[in-house]
Amino acid sequence: MNTDSNGSFKNVVSNLAKQLRANVQTYTIVIAMLAIWAFFSVLTEGRYVTPRNFSNIFRQMAITSFLAAGMVPVIVTGNIDLSVGKLAGFVSVVVAKFQDDIWTQILPDQLLLTTIISVVIGLAVGTLIGMLQGYFIAYLRVPSFIVTLAGMWILNGAILLVTEGKTIAADQPTLAVIAQGYLPNYIGWIIAALVVALLYFSMFTGRQKKRSYGFELPPLPVDLLKTTFFSALVVGYVYVVNLYNGVQLLVLLLAIAAVVMSYVSNNTRFGRYAYAIGGNREAARLSGVNIKRNIFGVFTLMGFLCGIGGVALASYVGYGTIAAGDGYELDAIGSCILGGTSTLGGVGTIFGAMIGSLIMTSLTTGLQILNVQAAWQYLVKGIVLVLAVLADVYLKKRR
Amino acid sequence: MSEDIILDIQNVTKQFPGVTALDDVSIQIRRGEIHGICGENGAGKSTLMKILAGVYPWGDYEGTIIYEGEELKLEGSSIQQASEEGIAIVHQELTLVPTMTVGANVFLGKEPVERAGINWDKLYADTQEILTKYNLDIEPQAIVDHLGVGKMQMTEIAKALAENAKVLILDEPTSALADDEIEGLMEILRALKGHGVTCIYITHKLEEFFGVSDSITVLRDGRVMTTQPTEDLSVEKLVSYMVGREIKERFPKGNRQPGEVILQVENLHAQDPEEAGREIVRGVTLDLREGEILGIAGLMGSGRTELVMTLFGEYGRITEGVIRLEGRELKIASARDAMTDGLSLVPEDRKRYGLVLMQSVLKNVSLANLDQFASWMRIDNLAELNASLKFARSLDIKAPSLHVSCDSLSGGNQQKVVISKWLMSRPKVLIMDDPTRGIDVGAKYEIYKLMNDLAEQGIAIIMISSELEEVIGMSDRIMVMHEGKSTETLDIADATQERIMALATGIANNNGISNTALVA
Repeated sequence: MNTDSNGSFKNVVSNLAKQLRANVQTYTIVIAMLAIWAFFSVLTEGRYVTPRNFSNIFRQMAITSFLAAGMVPVIVTGNIDLSVGKLAGFVSVVVAKFQDDIWTQILPDQLLLTTIISVVIGLAVGTLIGMLQGYFIAYLRVPSFIVTLAGMWILNGAILLVTEGKTIAADQPTLAVIAQGYLPNYIGWIIAALVVALLYFSMFTGRQKKRSYGFELPPLPVDLLKTTFFSALVVGYVYVVNLYNGVQLLVLLLAIAAVVMSYVSNNTRFGRYAYAIGGNREAARLSGVNIKRNIFGVFTLMGFLCGIGGVALASYVGYGTIAAGDGYELDAIGSCILGGTSTLGGVGTIFGAMIGSLIMTSLTTGLQILNVQAAWQYLVKGIVLVLAVLADVYLKKRR
Repeated sequence: MSEDIILDIQNVTKQFPGVTALDDVSIQIRRGEIHGICGENGAGKSTLMKILAGVYPWGDYEGTIIYEGEELKLEGSSIQQASEEGIAIVHQELTLVPTMTVGANVFLGKEPVERAGINWDKLYADTQEILTKYNLDIEPQAIVDHLGVGKMQMTEIAKALAENAKVLILDEPTSALADDEIEGLMEILRALKGHGVTCIYITHKLEEFFGVSDSITVLRDGRVMTTQPTEDLSVEKLVSYMVGREIKERFPKGNRQPGEVILQVENLHAQDPEEAGREIVRGVTLDLREGEILGIAGLMGSGRTELVMTLFGEYGRITEGVIRLEGRELKIASARDAMTDGLSLVPEDRKRYGLVLMQSVLKNVSLANLDQFASWMRIDNLAELNASLKFARSLDIKAPSLHVSCDSLSGGNQQKVVISKWLMSRPKVLIMDDPTRGIDVGAKYEIYKLMNDLAEQGIAIIMISSELEEVIGMSDRIMVMHEGKSTETLDIADATQERIMALATGIANNNGISNTALVA
C-alpha cells in the first residue's frame, strides 16, 4: 500500500469530489442555509447581513441548540424527549428563584459566589431530572414518548409551583454575563488563533499517525484545503462579530458543547453504542452492548444539556417566568430532523442539528426583519421542515 | 389433463442468486384431497408455497401453474390476489391481530359495511356460520389474545375459509400445538375435505401424514423426489426419499485434532423469558473439545437456536442445569458476560441479529470489541481500523473499503463481517448458528475452510446447520435436537443422514427404538 498519494491537481480534485459525495447530505444542508441567507439579504437590501444581525442570529439559536445537541443521541437511539423545553424552563426558574429569593437572604452581597452556586444547582437539577426520566425509560421500560410527555406536564406544574405564578427577577450582572456577555475583541482573536493552530496541529499529527500504520493518506493539498476552509470560517466569524460587540460568551459555550457532543458521539464507546442501538437494537444487544445503561446515559446527558439551556435562559431573559421554555422541545426536535437525524434511529449528527437550528433561527430572524406576521413565521417553518425531509427521502431513493 | 386436478404445477423453476430453490418441479393436486409435502429444511417447500401465494409473482419463476383450468398469473404484492383466487395460506407464524375478536379477524378487510359503518351483528353471525359449518369450536366474540395457540389456528383457518378458499395451504400447522390440539386439527382437516376444500399440508412431523393425507410429495434440493399415494408409503420410506444422497467433495478436508473438553453443558433447562413456564430448552447435555467442530442438527423449532442463545446469555432463563468452561461453572447473564468468558455467537439471520446494516463494515466489525481500542473517553480510531483491516483481509471480505455500509455487500461477505466481529473478540468457543444460510456455494466453501483453520488453531466450534450434508461434511461429532432436548451425540463415523433425520423427527429415540406410534 502506498503511504503517500500523488498530489497532482487531478488527484486532488477527484479526492475532494469523493469526500463531497460521501457527505452529500451535510453539504446539501449547508448550501440550503447559505441560500436562505442570500435570499434574505436580497429581500432586506442588505440589512440581514449586518454584523449586528449576524451576531444576533447566533445568540438566538443558542438556547434551543443546547437542547438539540442533547436531542440527537436521544433520537439516534430511537427515543424522543418531549420534556426538554419545560425542563430548561424549570431549571431557569429554579436558578432565578435561588438568585432572587434565597441567596439575597442567606448570603447577601456575595454576587459572584451566589451566581456560581445557582448555576451549579441549575445544572444538577437538569441532570437529576434527566437521570430520573432515563431510569424510567431504560430500566423500567416505559416508552420515552410517554415518560417525557408526563415529564413535560409535571415540570410545567413544577414551574408554576416555584414561581407561584409570578415573574422572578434574575438580573444580577454576574448571571447576565453568561448569556449576554461579549468577549473583548483581542480575546476573540486569541481564541480564533488557538482554534486554527489546533486544527492544523491535529491535521498534521493525524497524517503522521496514519502513516505510521501504513494507511493511505489523502493528498496533502486536500487536507490543507479542508483545514484552511474551516480555519477561514472561524476567523471569518470572529472578524464579523468583532465588528459589532465581539464574540458572545454564550456562543462560545455552545461551540464547546457542540464540539464535545460531536466528539462523544463519534469517538467514544458511548456514542458508538448509541448509533448501533438505533441502527439495530438486537445486533447491538448480541454484541454485548449494555442497552439500558446506554439509554440511561443518553437521557442523563440530555438532562445536563437542559441544565445548561436553562441557566442560559435565565441569564438571557433576566427573569424566571411561567412560560419559560415553552415550545423549545419542538424547535430542538425540528432542528435535529432538519439536520438529517432520522426519526427511525441510527442516523444523525450534532453538526447537522446545529446547522438545522441555525436555519430555523435564520428564517425566523429574516422574517422578523421583513416585519412578517408571526403566523407566517410558523407557516414557513413548517413548510421548510416538510420540504427538507421530502427532499431527503427523494434523494435517498435516487441513490 | 383430467377433470379432477385443481392445481397443476408444471416444471416450475425458481432461482435465487447462487441457489436454485426449485428445480423443474411438477406436482398435480387433485380436487378435495389432502396433499402432504415434506422435505428437509431448505428443500424448497416454502419457496413453492410463496409462489402459490404470490409472494414471488408470476414471471419471477419459470414454468406454469394451472389452477382451475387456467394459468395462474399472480402479480407482485398480490397476496391479496391469491386469496381472491381462492388460495389461502395458514402460516407457521400466525398473522392475526391479537387484540381484536375472532370475528373481527376472520372478516378483517372485508367487513360487512352499511351506511352507518360496520354491521357487527352480521359479522358475528357470518363468523358463527363458518365456524359451525366446519366444526370449529371457538366463540366469535372472543379476543384472539386470550385463546390458546390451537384456537388461534382455527381462527386463521376460518379467516381463510371466509374468503371462500378452495385450496388451503397449511405450513407446519402443528409445530406449536399440543397433542390433543393436533388431533383436533386432524378432525378439522377431515371436515374440510368433506366440504370439498383441497388442502396442502406441510409438516416436519412425518407420522402426521398417515392419519390424514391422501398423497405425499417429497422435495429434496428443490426437486420432486416422488409423489405417491399415502398408503404406499411409510415414515422410513419418506426419510429415505428426503435424504439418501451422497456427499460430494463440497467440504474441505481439515486436519483437526480435538483436544481436551473445554465446554460442558449438563441437563440444561431454560424457559422463555417473556412467557414464564414455557420451556424452550428441555434437557440438553453436551461436551465440546478444543479444536473440534460439534454439529447441532435438528429441524426448525427443535430448540437449536434457543439453546445457543441461552448459552450466550441472551434468551432463555436457565431453570436447571450447569454450564462449565474449562471446568469452571459459568453464570452468564448477558452477551457481555459470555464474551468475557470466551464465548462468541455468530447468530442466525445476520440481517436481523448480526449486523447494523446501515453502518459501515468497520463499525460492525469493531462493535463488539471496542474495549480493545478504547479508554473511557476515546476510541483509538486508527488502531480500530488497523485491527479491522487485518480481519477483513484474512477473511477476504470483498468490499470497496471498510467504510461502505453493510447493506451494499453480498450475503457471503456480510456473513464474513459478522464472523470477523466475533473472531476479533478472541473466543475460545465459537458458536455459529446456521452460518452458511442463504449464501452461495463459493462463499460457503470459504466459510468451511475458515472453520477448519479456526479449529486447527484450537478454537472449539459449535455449528448449527439446517443442511444435513453440511453437518455431516463439517462436524467431528453431531448432536441432534428434538423438541428442545438433546438426543444422542453421534460420532461422525456413525452419522448417516437417515440416522440424523430419524432422531430429529423423533421416530427413533436414543436407544434406536421407535417411540412414536405410527399411524399407518
